[in-house]
Amino acid sequence: MDILSIALILTFVLLLLLGSGLWVALSLVGVAVFAMTAFTTAPVGSVLATTTWGSTTPFALIALPLFVWMGEILFRTRLSEDMFRGIAPWVTRLPGRLLHVNVVACGIFAAISGSSAATAVTIGRMSIPELHRRGYDERMSIGTLAGSGTLGFLIPPSIILIVYGVAAELSIARLFIAGILPGVMLIALFMGFIMLWALVNPSRIPKSDERLSFWRKVYESRRLLPTILLIVAVLGSIYLGIATPVEAAVVGVLGSLALAWGTGGLSRRVLADSLMGATRTTCMISFIFVGASFLTIAMGFTGIPRSLAQWIAEMELGHYGLIAALTVFFIVLGCFLDGISVVLLTTSIILPMIQAAGIDLMWFGIYLVLVVEMSQVTPPVGFNLFVLQGLTGRNILQIARAAFPFFILLQIGVVLLVVFPEIATYLPQQMTKN
Amino acid sequence: MRRLLNGLYKGCGVLSAAFIVCIALAILAEIIGRMAGVLIPAATEFAGYCLASAIFLGLAYTLTAGEHIRVSILLLRAPARARHALEIFCLALGTALSIYFAWHFCAFAYETFVFGEVGQGLIKTPLWIPQSGLALGLVVLAIAFVDELVTMLRGRTPQYAQRDGDEAARALRAGGES
Repeated sequence: MDILSIALILTFVLLLLLGSGLWVALSLVGVAVFAMTAFTTAPVGSVLATTTWGSTTPFALIALPLFVWMGEILFRTRLSEDMFRGIAPWVTRLPGRLLHVNVVACGIFAAISGSSAATAVTIGRMSIPELHRRGYDERMSIGTLAGSGTLGFLIPPSIILIVYGVAAELSIARLFIAGILPGVMLIALFMGFIMLWALVNPSRIPKSDERLSFWRKVYESRRLLPTILLIVAVLGSIYLGIATPVEAAVVGVLGSLALAWGTGGLSRRVLADSLMGATRTTCMISFIFVGASFLTIAMGFTGIPRSLAQWIAEMELGHYGLIAALTVFFIVLGCFLDGISVVLLTTSIILPMIQAAGIDLMWFGIYLVLVVEMSQVTPPVGFNLFVLQGLTGRNILQIARAAFPFFILLQIGVVLLVVFPEIATYLPQQMTKN
Repeated sequence: MRRLLNGLYKGCGVLSAAFIVCIALAILAEIIGRMAGVLIPAATEFAGYCLASAIFLGLAYTLTAGEHIRVSILLLRAPARARHALEIFCLALGTALSIYFAWHFCAFAYETFVFGEVGQGLIKTPLWIPQSGLALGLVVLAIAFVDELVTMLRGRTPQYAQRDGDEAARALRAGGES
């Protein structure tokens, strides 16, 4: 049988398994078992066992449960209250006023948690009622939150970048650092959009009610300072090469335990809940990771990724053509799958093709994360939309409509990243010089 | 029986959490050791083994908590009877795959034991020790799948669907489809 028919059959089986509702991790294992049994003579069971053992022991993956745990601890403290009160005084003079709190707070929380949905929940449960009470436009407050929640994926420590880095065998530290500037770029895009919107619709922004002196502002945000220090410590030590991401993650866990204890939020219950929450998230993500690792090996046996790479090379799409085609593909995939599944599924099949096209894998990782961020705000399956649905009680289409401008902004971000790849590659290059 | 099985899943889940704490402690020991100028030989190796065990021991617990991700678009929109059939299809396939996975991993771990393979680090850990954690986790996962399948076939709701950690399903239920 020729390779094209095999590829088509396997795609069909994969879509069938995923679509029927079989758990994603098992769908990947299932299609890999099917591919190897039907089209190769390899000993499927023992390859499955050895791949499983090999894929779960790489050192960099250790950072995953630790960063997840760190986020779970801080998620359970009163950080979200502190965040609103601490940021509000600083942004109230900008056009669009407190709408900026959503963006900035999500940016900060994204730097302590790697999850996009957790970011949206943590910030939203405080800011949505506050903004509503002060008479802000509901559609804008929902949209800004849905959009900025996606920052959780990109701004380090990012769970999705750890998973990508381990799968593609890249340095996690460099990937993390590469995510910083694109994250800042998105924050700037979002805030710029809010300002523009506010200048066009001045009547829909409530008037400012207070004016604080500089020191008063510092005083209002005093509770945020320890959190910011923690972020600087975690990221700074990675950037300067003092600590590996794994070590920085342990420091992050200790720091967040100390923060929770300091604010009186560290009960035995919080400790147990955060740990069990971290366990479930770790198992969920890692199981998909194991499935994807096995799929990668199985695909290698079938030879599909190699032929795909050749085929793409022969099409001579050119760099921009290839990226454009991939972006459309990922957006469609992202409508039905969550970000981590998209990334892992992709690494198992198309990484050889990306390498053959001469694209830097580190840059591609950042691009990929930026694109799957969009999947968080696209219906029918967009986790940030679900989160906001829970918070506001609006239906999914209303929320998707409110989030749409931010979907477009994310696309502008992708275009900027493609045209100016230095946005992702500049900081890691500086790292090597040190 | 119900309590015994749930205790098994939860117990392995707690064990998995304990391994995550062990990872943190191992890395912490390494950092402190380095500051004090003492080299702790197998800390990273140990942390790696802990991670592998943690991942697999928690699988069944995560399943019954409804937190393994699945694409639920079709399930949520299908009429009741089709949904029932689809759910049974997923569970049957899940059961088959998890048994297959558990079987082959146990065989692999047993081979490691027979051939006496050891780790590559400074401390020659016999590899069957950490591997038995993974094997146990996979076996418990297979048990959980059989358990959920039987529950479904008896016409009751599987645990993962009751305590739905699946955000999609939870949100859709809470918000309705207005």
